[in-house]
Amino acid sequence: MMLTLLKNLARSLAVLLVVTFATFTLMFGNGDGIARAVLGLNARPEDVQREVVTLGLDQPLLVQYWHWLRDAVTGDLGESFYTGQSVTEALSSRVPVTLALVIITLLLTVVLSVLLGVTAAVKGGWVDRLLQFVTVLGTAIPSFIIAIVLVFTFAIAWRVLPATGYVTPEISVSGWAKSVTLPVLALLVGAVASAAAQFRTAVLDTLGRDYIRTLRARGISERHVIFRHVLRNSAGPGLTVLSLTTLGLLGGAVFVEQVFALPGMGQLANQSAQVNDVPMVMGTVLVTIVIVLVVNFLGDLATTVLNPKARIR
Amino acid sequence: MRRSKLALVSAVALAALLAGCTGGAAPGAESSAGATKNTLTLAMSADITGWDPSNQPGYQGWGPEAIWDSLIKCDAFGKPEADIADKWTVSADGKSFTAHIREGQKFSDGTPVDSAAVAASFQYLTSHGGSQGDYKGLKTDAPDAQNITLTWPEAQPMIINRVCNPKITTKALLDSGKVNDKPVGSGPYVLDETATTRGSVYTFTKNESHWNTAAYPYKKLVLKVIESETARVSALKTGQVDGSLITAASYNEVEASGLNVVTMQGQTTRLLLTDHLGKEVPALGSLKVRQAINMVFDRDAMVKNLYQGHGKPAYQIFRPGSDAYIDGMADPYPFDVTKAKALMAEAGYASGFDLSLPTMAGQNHETLMPYVTQQLGLLGIKVKQVPLSGANAIDDLLSGTYPVVLWQLGNFGQSLLDIDIVVRSTGYWNLEHQPDATVDGLWKKILTGDEATRKTAQQDINKYVIEQAWFAPMVNPDGFYAHSPDVKIDHVSDHEALTPKLRDFK
Repeated sequence: MMLTLLKNLARSLAVLLVVTFATFTLMFGNGDGIARAVLGLNARPEDVQREVVTLGLDQPLLVQYWHWLRDAVTGDLGESFYTGQSVTEALSSRVPVTLALVIITLLLTVVLSVLLGVTAAVKGGWVDRLLQFVTVLGTAIPSFIIAIVLVFTFAIAWRVLPATGYVTPEISVSGWAKSVTLPVLALLVGAVASAAAQFRTAVLDTLGRDYIRTLRARGISERHVIFRHVLRNSAGPGLTVLSLTTLGLLGGAVFVEQVFALPGMGQLANQSAQVNDVPMVMGTVLVTIVIVLVVNFLGDLATTVLNPKARIR
Repeated sequence: MRRSKLALVSAVALAALLAGCTGGAAPGAESSAGATKNTLTLAMSADITGWDPSNQPGYQGWGPEAIWDSLIKCDAFGKPEADIADKWTVSADGKSFTAHIREGQKFSDGTPVDSAAVAASFQYLTSHGGSQGDYKGLKTDAPDAQNITLTWPEAQPMIINRVCNPKITTKALLDSGKVNDKPVGSGPYVLDETATTRGSVYTFTKNESHWNTAAYPYKKLVLKVIESETARVSALKTGQVDGSLITAASYNEVEASGLNVVTMQGQTTRLLLTDHLGKEVPALGSLKVRQAINMVFDRDAMVKNLYQGHGKPAYQIFRPGSDAYIDGMADPYPFDVTKAKALMAEAGYASGFDLSLPTMAGQNHETLMPYVTQQLGLLGIKVKQVPLSGANAIDDLLSGTYPVVLWQLGNFGQSLLDIDIVVRSTGYWNLEHQPDATVDGLWKKILTGDEATRKTAQQDINKYVIEQAWFAPMVNPDGFYAHSPDVKIDHVSDHEALTPKLRDFK
């Protein structure tokens, strides 16, 4: 098991290096454009060239990447080309916003999707068909439509929740709850719909296994069969689904943060990418990769614990 | 039993999230100027560009306006108004600006606003930021704490503009090199760092000792960064913000919601025909071809159909009311495709020519380009659209690769700026930078003449570029600033006419 974990760790580090280098490569070669954007259209060519040097954008790709990587290892992610703000400082205020959205949505997704998936699989009949219809609908409706409907209903028409903005829990817990409710709901609908459908399939698959028939034949109660055996054996595929859902939520947060004007990582990534703010983009990419790798790592770990066969790989 | 527990957990989780939904004040009430008149909350479509005084664009510049004073301010037409300086003179040779600094002013760190700070702030611009060229060779002479003279090596026809832009801060801050950490200014508001999250919300409290507190009636200023226009409109409608820039797409929705809208015309949609000598595209060297291009656009129809009535036909590139603008001028190139074709034939281009037009996001090209392409096609001009994107897009655009560009370019209240940037061969929007003796001669009159001569010379330049068809002006599109009815905006002081200034919010 330890060997498996070490292999996963090594693989994660390789992924981190490859992705950060690829991102750096994509943004390389825009030195003049970035310097002009920083200084403004009025800047003289000689000032633009001086700014290129000041920002270190005159260096070869590998040198620039090495400098970034070397500093990043020591915790120094640099400063924004445009605002001079420390990347670490920017991320420290934005990562919690995005993580709050993702974690709350994920927890609710686990509860609701298991509930819906198991109910659909076990009950069957019209309940199953209805829940399937609802999950297809939830998956099909784009989250921006859901977000707009939520804003119109709860913020504009009923005025019970804010349309935009984020309040930190330190300032007001109820304000924080209000500010994340609509964004979480916007993310939740698609996530639950997708995960519930996957859980339903996993539970149906397990219910069709011989050992379930045997358990039932032995007269064990249906509730015991479902909660002790079916859910446990459906957990493997379920974990994979939740792992993918988490990654999907990170992507969805980029959009949701825009719609609700939340100062999260997605908004920062979007703003920075538009103007090629290399240090900010690299900072957000790095944090995102780390989150993805941690989620994958935890998913693998849980699968390994739950399923002994997975340890043999 | 366990199933019901599971359902209960779900319900509790949702209930916890929705706990804040009931009771209490409506969202944003505490920061709504409409509710208390104590706080002005404005949405910004882009973040503040840090606190370096040398890097502060005027567009949506409420944060910089709050923090910093200038030596003088410029009004909507670039005329000087008092700020830190209460008296000033410009030397007859146009090289020097002498100012008296009003007494008793203090920076937010408690140090006095004096000539040393003003001198340091101007000297800082000679080596920092994107306007270093404007301050090259600047000398400062401060005989005492309240008087200062700024002297350039050459005459500065735009000396007022040069003086009203720089933000005045302390020498100590500039010397420390930590200009981005915390701003220090003597402006009407002070940054409240405890209630500020960079990139998201900026909070300012009123500087009660500011020399002009009456011009800034709000006790608190809150700036919220909301990139998405949909989100800004929602925030406006729910009272979370008191004002925001909007586009024509949101105009009807905003008006129907009972909000007020200020209309500004700070742009002119135009084709820039910068290859006057025909070096890149030989056909453009012909005056008749450039005039023919001007004749194929039905400006009234463009306003009606492409801008849904939100604009005015444009026949000149300059702002109405500016010195270069010629009042009452009739359309010099009325819409006449037949005549345009005849001019093309006379010029020897009856079958047209190929033309590459760059396109970029944010320029309304998706609406304008099909019409422009179609109309130029009537003259046989085959347009190839070249999409520009990424960090180098503006550099590519200004590189001279594309001698003709379709752009919604700003026009200034101070038309000398337009001439300097767009008309003169050194201007960065004169893309091919081709010399022109007539413009150079008129610019010399501007450099050396009195005010009346300068105005006449500017109008002569306007007439000249119209006769020479250096541009094909089309429309002055409306820009919109939506605001709560509780906030009064009677006047827009911005010489770019793109957003109201902080002092315009009453």
